[in-house]
Amino acid sequence: MTALLVVETVIVAVLCVLVAGLLRGYASVLRRLHQLDGGALPNAGPPPFRTVPAIPEPAAGQRIEGRDEWAEAHDIEGISLRGEIVSVRTVGVEHDTVLAFLSASCEGCAGFWHELAADWVTPTGSRLLVVTRSAAEESPSVLSQLCPPQADLVMSSQAWADYAVPGSPYVVVTDGRTGRVKGEGSGTSFSQVGGLIRQSIEDGRHPAMKPDADRRRERDIDRLLLSAGIGPNDPSLYADRDER
Amino acid sequence: MPAVATRRLAGHGLAVGLLPQWEGRLYQRTVGATAGAAPNAAGWAGEASHPILHLANFALPAARGDYGTGAVERMGPAHIFIALLEFGPDCLGTALYAPRGLPRPTPGEFNPNGMQRRVAGQAGFQHFCTVADRPFCLYAVIGSHRDAVRLTRSVNEILDQIEVS
Repeated sequence: MTALLVVETVIVAVLCVLVAGLLRGYASVLRRLHQLDGGALPNAGPPPFRTVPAIPEPAAGQRIEGRDEWAEAHDIEGISLRGEIVSVRTVGVEHDTVLAFLSASCEGCAGFWHELAADWVTPTGSRLLVVTRSAAEESPSVLSQLCPPQADLVMSSQAWADYAVPGSPYVVVTDGRTGRVKGEGSGTSFSQVGGLIRQSIEDGRHPAMKPDADRRRERDIDRLLLSAGIGPNDPSLYADRDER
Repeated sequence: MPAVATRRLAGHGLAVGLLPQWEGRLYQRTVGATAGAAPNAAGWAGEASHPILHLANFALPAARGDYGTGAVERMGPAHIFIALLEFGPDCLGTALYAPRGLPRPTPGEFNPNGMQRRVAGQAGFQHFCTVADRPFCLYAVIGSHRDAVRLTRSVNEILDQIEVS
């Protein structure tokens, strides 16, 4: 009986080794076929960017994603009307942030304050933050009367400087995922500004529009070609396939 | 690789390095303030207020209770809310506040019944302790009890950034 068990164990062990060897060989064949098929090695990064011969390389450090033309967004740090020390993220977050730069003394801000009190609803997926100058340059007591308690208000002159705000009222919309400003300008009320934001979002999703990715890609390619001195109808764009 | 703080929030003898995606608010309610002039409230007669630190990896609303009412309801499954509340010096030396130092909770310590008010899917953790001779209550909420292991790691990463002086 013991001998039989020993023999069985040996047979099972040999079979395990054989199966493991077969699986390993099979994996090697698959990997080799993948390479022959033009696939990259495991863990290999994307292939290096290069241009065809006779086409100059774009300037070093130039980004491909096409967002360099948008200003950088900045996180906001300041003090709330309740004396809270506040640090608000606008960069590296999932949501967009609507930054409303307002003042207690600006006549054009009246529409904004009025709609804040009426619980203006921000566009879906975005957060509203009212930013005034710091307490030394503002009137916190007047702001307390103007700003309803449920509104999120931060006093921060640094934020005004970071976003180069030219005056109030001024609205900046930041894209939390890219960390860039996606729109900015002035208006008369949140409704007006919100309408423009919604229109922009809906236009972007409209079936008549090209997909965002396509438009971005086209813009990127155009910019890279132009920066390399290659304009429309440049002969290098029509180089023979053999020359490549 | 450990996450690196990109912002710093400091005041009332508390400081925290804010890791990416984390934001924070630090305040001390004004005693006797009228309703609405402080986060969630007017307080009560004879109340002494103490510093409170709120941390979150989501957008904290302006109107919140000290234990996160108004904020935790907005949490998604990947979100975390942390409140560190200081108590009065009369609490020093009592049994409740005997543990020294901020705790590092384990996933098993998060409990759906540990919430101030139960919210579906969420779990809470509460611990009383003394840090730098100041009595504190740490209250943490994770957005998904099922994902407690990963979220607890994030909780402990941000707790590592808190300094009490």
